Amino acid sequence: MLLQAEPPQNAGFMLAAYMLVAVVLVVYAVTLVLRARKLVREVQP
Amino acid sequence: MTSSSSLSASSSFPQSSTSSVAAARKSIRAGQVLLLLGLVALAAHYVRAIEFTPVEATQGMAQKIFYVHVPSAWSAFLAYGIVGVCSALFLWLGDRRLDLFAEASAEVGTVLTFMVLTTGPLWGKPIWGTWWQWEVRLTSTLFLFFLMVGYLTLRRSIYDPLERARYSAVVGILGAMLVPFIHLSVYMFRTIHPKPVILKPEGPTLPGSMLSTLLEGVAIMTVVYLGLVLIRYGIGRLQEEKEARHAAAG
Repeated sequence: MLLQAEPPQNAGFMLAAYMLVAVVLVVYAVTLVLRARKLVREVQP
Repeated sequence: MTSSSSLSASSSFPQSSTSSVAAARKSIRAGQVLLLLGLVALAAHYVRAIEFTPVEATQGMAQKIFYVHVPSAWSAFLAYGIVGVCSALFLWLGDRRLDLFAEASAEVGTVLTFMVLTTGPLWGKPIWGTWWQWEVRLTSTLFLFFLMVGYLTLRRSIYDPLERARYSAVVGILGAMLVPFIHLSVYMFRTIHPKPVILKPEGPTLPGSMLSTLLEGVAIMTVVYLGLVLIRYGIGRLQEEKEARHAAAG
């Protein structure tokens, strides 16, 4: 009888990568939005 | 007149100060909408990739890093392509908006490349047994990251806006020229890095469910890139306007 091997248990690496992408994007996005709002207040048309 | 002085004489914002500020604000507003849409869609993409996309039999859950790693790489390379095109057009046309868009795209591309260079090792460790290999795809991507950090540093170190734009345009074009080399490097050299699964002559070789999740990720990261770059471009224009008013005020 052929036994099918179970996939390796390595979900921790995936979760780490997904969290890293989310944190980097959110931190950079918030930084940009705050910079933009500050400049919009400072530079009036 | 030299070509350099010709460029200096013609390089300018074609718009008035008021419309320039209005255009910058419009860019920031559009960017914020796109970014919000992109981040919400990215959260949904995470759920789809983790819960509703099959687990690859030999690599396990770590293979799902593919659904953020490849879209990040795609959007980073798109960003650098746009840096190259805007830089070349700036040298030709002398429109300062092109220089500012290249700067915005380079900064966003550098952040995206950082994501590629950190998610890659998180995938490599469980599959290859090592965090990093000094092979051509990884090393040339790292080199491109350093080149773009240099591009951004160069911009901060030159005071004159036209000098800054000219020098950084040359670096931006050189950086963009690395992108096709990085893509083709897996064919040109023996490497541990997998070959492309979509952009190849015989077409995509991936099960439909995995391919659709990957393409969804690519579309979402493109929207996130557009959102970030529009906000950063608006910041660049407002910053220039602020400096111009400061200089005019004496």
